[in-house]
Amino acid sequence: MNPTHDCGRSIEDLSDYLDTGASPDAEHIDYCPQCQARLAGLRSLSAAARDLLDEDVAATADDSGWLDGILANLRLETSAGRLIPLRGQGMDELTETEGAVIALVRSVGDALGGVLIGRCRLEGEIGTASAPVEVRINVSARYGYPLPTLAEELRTAVFSELLVQTELNVTAVHVAFTDMRPPFDDEPDSLGEGRQ
Amino acid sequence: MKRLQDLPHKLADAPDTVLAERAGDGDVAAFETLARRHAPLMRAYARRLVRSPEEADDVVQDALITAWKDIGSLRDVAAVKAWLMRIVGNRAIDTGRRRKSHENFADQPDQADHQASPEDVAVAGSTRTALNSALARLPEQQRRCWVLKEFGGQSYEEIAEALGISVTSVRGRLARARTRLVTEMEEWR
Repeated sequence: MNPTHDCGRSIEDLSDYLDTGASPDAEHIDYCPQCQARLAGLRSLSAAARDLLDEDVAATADDSGWLDGILANLRLETSAGRLIPLRGQGMDELTETEGAVIALVRSVGDALGGVLIGRCRLEGEIGTASAPVEVRINVSARYGYPLPTLAEELRTAVFSELLVQTELNVTAVHVAFTDMRPPFDDEPDSLGEGRQ
Repeated sequence: MKRLQDLPHKLADAPDTVLAERAGDGDVAAFETLARRHAPLMRAYARRLVRSPEEADDVVQDALITAWKDIGSLRDVAAVKAWLMRIVGNRAIDTGRRRKSHENFADQPDQADHQASPEDVAVAGSTRTALNSALARLPEQQRRCWVLKEFGGQSYEEIAEALGISVTSVRGRLARARTRLVTEMEEWR
């Protein structure tokens, strides 16, 4: 850097330029040797920072045992959601939880090939017996499965499982494909021509 | 219920958004997959913000407990990784704060942390090593700002909130940190 000619641009200005790729001062920065030298310094700092973080991560990534204990503790705490009344055999105030029903919907979807359930919502007064309830499901699908067929399969499976396992008055199951994923190379249940 | 045994396999390549949605609905397995995916980064990040590996692991543990509790109300599931890193950053800052008040109470001098040992410096002549030791010599306030920004990817506003200082101060500290780091790394060459 040449101390006899300081262009007066601050490291903040240059950092902003580096972060955003734009600056009202870009005209100057692009042609100022001093600014270019400092930008080069900032760039190599960022590159070194990425390398250092990668190295930090790699240094601890091998040992995953430390995480097991932490995660085991988390298992003890699950959220239940709203309560759903059940008509018991003579027993009053039997309920199941919304969380349990959503878990059921997830397991139904997860058992189907090609889909993975995301968010699931029960809409309606589930606390009131036989009130109409609509189920909304976000789904991640694999490429190569025909979506309308998948949606229909999932709707049917969820309907029948909820009919058998719960007392909810399910009036609709809405399926939204919110994510698409490439197929597994070794996916066991190939759909033949349905796959790409 | 066929093929539920394939679930871990299915979750393994699920995108963060799907895992975050499931975790928000109470699916522990999805949360675990998410946690395992990002824990090494969270741990490395925490280690740069606190003084010992043990303290860092405590920070990650606290962060994961908080995340599991709050993930149901996370609106932007696509940003779950940034959200996890933000929680780690905030927890680490809290830890430093608690330690500091404890130390003040015990009337102990604040020691410079992360002192680079001669062995550290002698490891290799890489820019990475140069940065590592330059970071160790940075004043703690500047180093924290820099780590929160560069490693945590946090915005000026988020850093300001975490540290309880103004955005202007964050910009200033960050600029001083960058200036010093660039200078030291250039001297290294």
